[in-house]
Amino acid sequence: MAISPSFRLPLALPGFEHIKRAWNEAHATYAARLNPGEYYVTKNDEGIYTTLGSCISACIRDRVNGIGGMNHFMLPASVGEGGWKAAGLGASTRYGNFAMEHLINEIMKNGGRRQNLEVKLFGGGRIIANMTDVGLRNIEFARDYVATEGLRVTSEDVGDVFPRMVVYFPSTGKVRVKRLRSLHNNTIAEQETKYLHTIEDKPVSGDIELF
Amino acid sequence: MKTNITELVQGVGGLVTLPDVFIRINQLVENPNSTISEIAKTIGQDPSFTVRLLRVANSSFYGLSSSIDTVSKAVSVIGTSQIRSLALATSVASSFDGLPNTLVSMEHFWRHSLYCALVARILAKQVRRCDPDAVFTAALLHDIGELVIFNRLPQQAKDALLLVLDSADELPIYQAERQIMGFDHAQVGGELSRQWKLPPMLEECIEFHHDIQSAQRFPREVTLVHIANILALMAEIHTLDPDDVSPIDPQAWEAVGLKSDEVSEVIEATVAEAQEEIADAEKLFLGK
Repeated sequence: MAISPSFRLPLALPGFEHIKRAWNEAHATYAARLNPGEYYVTKNDEGIYTTLGSCISACIRDRVNGIGGMNHFMLPASVGEGGWKAAGLGASTRYGNFAMEHLINEIMKNGGRRQNLEVKLFGGGRIIANMTDVGLRNIEFARDYVATEGLRVTSEDVGDVFPRMVVYFPSTGKVRVKRLRSLHNNTIAEQETKYLHTIEDKPVSGDIELF
Repeated sequence: MKTNITELVQGVGGLVTLPDVFIRINQLVENPNSTISEIAKTIGQDPSFTVRLLRVANSSFYGLSSSIDTVSKAVSVIGTSQIRSLALATSVASSFDGLPNTLVSMEHFWRHSLYCALVARILAKQVRRCDPDAVFTAALLHDIGELVIFNRLPQQAKDALLLVLDSADELPIYQAERQIMGFDHAQVGGELSRQWKLPPMLEECIEFHHDIQSAQRFPREVTLVHIANILALMAEIHTLDPDDVSPIDPQAWEAVGLKSDEVSEVIEATVAEAQEEIADAEKLFLGK
């Protein structure tokens, strides 16, 4: 079947070719699907979506030229005798810094300007009842980070007991947050736990160049 | 596919069975010669159901003015057919304990089912011509096929859930199940209802809650459960925006006799009422 040029998959920016993208019927656009730990930046008129349990996504864009992206992360925690407990504070915030800086730096590398950045925060839900509120730690980290960087959160939907589906359009700043029914809690928690194990095993190393 | 569903359900035969008290009451209610005192006597032989029945009868769930202190009073005030519904409603959750799964917690599963039951009951009182207690029980059971699938086909069930998430939650779960397995939880629930010989009204509500056009004998009850399922999701995720949940069949409201300009008001009032009732209802119906 012939596809009109505007419906062709837009080119990904260098470094983001591996992110899975598919046509989204409801929004009539292509959309990149983020897994925990991934991020995606685009100059195109396309969406980015992810599901969040206790993880956080920052949606950041240059509100003037529409360059922007989304990340999906959590601070590492390890399972101790008394259940979940935070890993060493330095090590865990290092991972959060890494996720936030990568996103912001890529936006700026592709033409975004720091004074035009707007930030939206989502996630950090407490989707497993008998567990320390790791979502809250993630929310507090993200808010602190944004404040320290002198950026502004223009909207957020965080905390509470629901997993979320976030669909973000950097070109317009439009975002669709849908709370998900509890039927999805275990599947999402399992994905996040798997991701948590990969970051606990692999500490962040190397310096990040700040713009 | 038909054989697959049949085999799937036969496979859980020994793991989950209908509550005895329901089977015995059901036989009596079906028999035109049985008397209220026979039914009361049968109930009295099950101390645990007796306690649950009196608790429900005296709760705000019925809101009766006089206190119900004996089983025979409960049977005559509440009605034999309603007692049969209650016998199933107060014991069905624990009969599925033998069918565990790792995809959804039983607590979350039954909370959604109970929300659906509360909403269906509220709507049934409003639209009339439906027995609110029977619709309550039908709605409480509407997703039982899901527990069969989650237990017997965990990998496919998980793939279906992931497909829903990959679609940005646009694809309803029953459609994802059809894509992956060739059938959905409603059909599996319908087959379980047949093997259990549940009353036909329950069977149709369970089997057609995602496919209301196929309802033959009880279209009104099936439609109520279909609507209640969606309103239960709204109650669960605290929203009144229809875009946040799966769509309600466009013909559903009319089929139960509600006008389109009444709909948003009905949704708001019903969701709020169910949210108020859920905590007490969990104690009455899901408490061990």
